[in-house]
Amino acid sequence: EQKEESGKPSFNFKTYMVEKAESVNRALDAAVSLKDPITIHEAMRYSLLAGGKRVRPVLCVAACELVGGSESLAMPAACAVEMIHTMSLIHDDLPCMDNDDLRRGKPTNHKVFGEDVAVLAGDALLSFAFEHLAVSTVGVEPSRIVRAVEELARSIGSEGLVAGQVVDIHSEGLSDVGLEHLEYIHLHKTAALLECAVVLGSILGGGSDSEIEKLRTFARYIGLLFQVVDDILDVTKSSQELGKTAGKDLVADKVTYPKLMGIEKSKEFAEKLNRDAQEQLVGFDQEKAAPLIALANYIAYRQN
Amino acid sequence: TRSKSTRFDLKTYWTTLIADINHKLNEAVPVRYPELIYESMRYSVLADGAKRASPVMCVAACELFGGDRLAAFPTACALEMVHAASLIHDDLPCMDDDPSRRGQPSNHTVYGEDMAILAGDALFPLGFQHIVSNTPSDLVPEARLLRVITEIARTVGSTGMAAGQFLDLEGGPNAVEFVQEKKFGEMGECSAVCGGLLAGAKDEEVDRLRRYGRAVGVLYQVVDDILEEKKNGKDENEKKEKKGKSYVKVYGVEKAIEVAEKLRSQAKQELDGFEKYGDGVVPLHSFVDYAVDRSFSL
Repeated sequence: EQKEESGKPSFNFKTYMVEKAESVNRALDAAVSLKDPITIHEAMRYSLLAGGKRVRPVLCVAACELVGGSESLAMPAACAVEMIHTMSLIHDDLPCMDNDDLRRGKPTNHKVFGEDVAVLAGDALLSFAFEHLAVSTVGVEPSRIVRAVEELARSIGSEGLVAGQVVDIHSEGLSDVGLEHLEYIHLHKTAALLECAVVLGSILGGGSDSEIEKLRTFARYIGLLFQVVDDILDVTKSSQELGKTAGKDLVADKVTYPKLMGIEKSKEFAEKLNRDAQEQLVGFDQEKAAPLIALANYIAYRQN
Repeated sequence: TRSKSTRFDLKTYWTTLIADINHKLNEAVPVRYPELIYESMRYSVLADGAKRASPVMCVAACELFGGDRLAAFPTACALEMVHAASLIHDDLPCMDDDPSRRGQPSNHTVYGEDMAILAGDALFPLGFQHIVSNTPSDLVPEARLLRVITEIARTVGSTGMAAGQFLDLEGGPNAVEFVQEKKFGEMGECSAVCGGLLAGAKDEEVDRLRRYGRAVGVLYQVVDDILEEKKNGKDENEKKEKKGKSYVKVYGVEKAIEVAEKLRSQAKQELDGFEKYGDGVVPLHSFVDYAVDRSFSL
């Protein structure tokens, strides 16, 4: 079912994803150990190690390797991005936010540990992401790590994830939401962290400024692509297939791409975003770019 | 004593720094789109009457080692941002359920729970961002900045203030020392340590600042608890019941005063190790005395 036409035949995307996700999972497991107070760390681990596709950390590692770095240089950053992603899911699922009971096929964090612990576990993951990036990144000059810290901070705060979430919350039930507005939400809510993953990988892997910026643009396109596909899946798939509540956008009266432009046009838009993204990779060594090309295709054609 | 001989004017020192810090925080959290989140962040960070104890201690510790206060300001502001973030989340209905903070409605009372959560989530990273974007690179090498980031992240994290808040909510028996150390000692410790790190203090000096800052942080809280008890009397204290633990509640006023004395001498003893810096250590001494005497109001 995987489309491979743009990758080299020698590159096996499935094996690549499985191997990379495994090393990310090992690194996450080691990074957040069970210590006192046990409950908070259990709650952190419950959501962090709940599976998930590890798209962000794999993007981070792949970008690092594309610019000539090794996996280990980017692994703490890859873990940090996944910690932030997890933290934002824990807080988004809270009753006072999206009020979700199910995530990645399991009860949400606050359903298991209570709202208070869920808030704290999210906060703890947020701060630990920075600590981990700063302390555990080895073999990279401090100036690049500092740059990564700044990039991470910017992508999750009121110029990034949080901005997207705020505008999203205040768009529910609005009748006059246009494409530009929708794009703002997704560029911040979804694309910002994917962009951050790719940019962190390319910074820590030793990329030049122009390489970093090309990869940033690539990531922004696939970030938007990720959301367009998410919106399409929300209306075309069941909760069981998705591992989370389906049709939620409709129930919540959220604006989505299918609602604004219809399913067919949304699919065409997704195709275009994927093409635009991959154009950014043209100047790179194509063999080394194979994982990112395959990741873009995976995001475009995934079924959940 | 030292404070008599040098005629150091803590009130002026402190109020001058409060004005500087407030000015810088005002610039650091501008209002832009989406306005509501910035307003919510500003509401807590720029709340009237904030003593800015953490930033002032950070600046004082930096200056002790000959550091420029310009090197310390971004970190000083960041300490207020992450502290505000913690307090916003602590006040939430699912946590301490506190409708007010420092006599003002708490953040979620004004902006709603969802905005309060997001304001906290935005203030933590803004703190880190502010440090790395605004610390003059000619004054502080990048490796030091990374140690400062690490210190602050650990302080607010799962073994620091978040741990304190968790144990406070859980309400286990006799955990008051631990809860107070985590909720109040950690912030004092972090403030002093960051100042030292920025100025390039040696490891053993940083350790000394660590013990000093922790003692002063807890000392403030213990004295606050004692003053609260004296002001309100026993009846009024009922409503403090669910709001965190206090030494006074657990051990009574007598014992709390004893604890305060012990913390005071601990903190002073640590400062004796900085004698070679001469008068530079005076501000740090005066924080300890002020914590106990409250000789003026800010």
